[in-house]
Amino acid sequence: MNNPLDMAIETNALSLSIGQHRLLHDVTLHAKRGERIAIVGPNGAGKTTLLRCLLGFISSPSGAISLQGKRLADLKRQEIARLIGYVPQQLADDIPFTVIEFIVMSRYAHAQSGGIIHRDPEGERIAKQATERTGIQHLENQSMSTLSGGERQKVNIAAALAQQTPILVLDEPSSHLDPKQRESIQQLLGEVGRKSQTTILAVTHDLNWAAMDFDRIIGMSHGAIIADDTPSAMMTSENLHRIFDAHWSVQPHPESGHPIVLPAHHYARDL
Amino acid sequence: MVQSPRHFIYFLLLPLAMVTLVVMPWLGEHHPALDVILRPSADDLDAMIFWQIRVPRVLLAMFAGMGLSLGGVVFQAIFRNPLATPFTLGVAGGASLGVTLAVFLGLNLTILGVSGVSIAALAGAIGAIAVVYGIARATGNISPNTMLLGGVAISFFFSSLILLLQYLGDMSDSFRIIHWLMGDLSRASVDTVFQILPFIVSGAIITGLLHRELNLLSLNDDLAASCGLHVERMRIILFLAVSLMIAGIVTVCGPIGFVGIMAPHICRLIVGANHRNLIPAALLFGGIFLTLCDTLARTISVSAEVPVGIITAILGGPFFLWLLFKKARSLS
Repeated sequence: MNNPLDMAIETNALSLSIGQHRLLHDVTLHAKRGERIAIVGPNGAGKTTLLRCLLGFISSPSGAISLQGKRLADLKRQEIARLIGYVPQQLADDIPFTVIEFIVMSRYAHAQSGGIIHRDPEGERIAKQATERTGIQHLENQSMSTLSGGERQKVNIAAALAQQTPILVLDEPSSHLDPKQRESIQQLLGEVGRKSQTTILAVTHDLNWAAMDFDRIIGMSHGAIIADDTPSAMMTSENLHRIFDAHWSVQPHPESGHPIVLPAHHYARDL
Repeated sequence: MVQSPRHFIYFLLLPLAMVTLVVMPWLGEHHPALDVILRPSADDLDAMIFWQIRVPRVLLAMFAGMGLSLGGVVFQAIFRNPLATPFTLGVAGGASLGVTLAVFLGLNLTILGVSGVSIAALAGAIGAIAVVYGIARATGNISPNTMLLGGVAISFFFSSLILLLQYLGDMSDSFRIIHWLMGDLSRASVDTVFQILPFIVSGAIITGLLHRELNLLSLNDDLAASCGLHVERMRIILFLAVSLMIAGIVTVCGPIGFVGIMAPHICRLIVGANHRNLIPAALLFGGIFLTLCDTLARTISVSAEVPVGIITAILGGPFFLWLLFKKARSLS
């Protein structure tokens, strides 16, 4: 059994139903500190619901969740925000704040809360560090509404970094971006993961990214975990068939040897 | 957007508000002499008009404008809807129904120097706040859309009841009700100024202290929660605080429309959406705007005063269209 102090995220038999609809079923997940985990699965598999449970957005799942060894149910909203940061899929494009204002706002939970008066003397400095790490210093004073989708997502990541949490969860952080911007976001996240001890949990539909940049891949379907292993052990045609109900072939990458998924050609089956 | 929102607020709006307060009481049918005003004797009519009527009226307009504008800022942020106004969730509807009922039933009592109509307005406004809050609680879904739809439905319901009562009532009652519904500052007195002052001061202090929370709420519920904000609790606190403040204003001045939508939007264009700057800017701008509108309302015609709500609405309608066109053009 793992030492609970080494665990960043622990869920035990997590289940959630709304009416007759089962969203999560008996999800037990352990993430060690500093581990990078990708969650894959078809739409409606419960991936985002699982993230929302970890973030404390859904207050009534059955089963237990612990973050950094602390029971989520015992934590206040601000305490949760000091443990786990969140990068959403996409922000509205009409956010009326400048980049630096937006990043400083994400440090809300770090106020030296002497009652209702809010003081965060380090806020601006840490926000600037985050823009440096994400390579967006030149955008600091620009309005969020003038940025491209890729730039906006970098700001989102910078905001989550400025929150200085040991855990970062990302919900399809690059799915709406063009291939070039997607690559740059994935590269950035890879660097963030390698250079820090941040535990990263990312929901993604990009199987090849999952195989390339993560320590473990968890496959979900119908609210349950179907497979959970290292990329090379997890990315097999059989597992992908069990998770996605699709016939894909898995080949080693010609340069790195990582498993890559090749979709079956539409016409190949007819030949 | 100006380069320094702070300069705009403290070197333009603040002095402008001071000038408005000093100059506006001098405007009107009577032009009192300076020495009469500064050394008033007990039986001097000009000094009495100045100190007992015009000064309280200018102060009332300033405070009411501040409160209505602040209400708009907060409602637009917590419901993330540019069309939300302090009256969107039925506060004005409830107050109006209270007044209509009081007039219809002939309640002419006065409690502790406060008229029955004012008490009925306050009771109606608080009743409306309780109903909308109850709806939000009962559905278990304190989301902006649920609250907005609930509030709009309640407003329409109240409006139809008001029409029904007017239909059943006699002409003089209907006239009194319509006059009240237009929004009017002519009941201003030293007492009414002190009546709304605590509402405005507490509203401004609460929202001023919560400017970071307002910024987060104006973004996105999930993001705000992930930054550590208790989203639903904060939305309810702000909704209740602002609704009570608006109830206090409506009770004295009637439902003066458009200030709560124009002032916040103009200020957002000038100082940006950060509530740290937006709140003081909107307070000052709303106060100045309503004071100027009211001065126009009481000086524009010699025979009878125009209710200030008509002036704000006449200015507000075209402004709204301009805002829509501007937005459409920036999108295209």
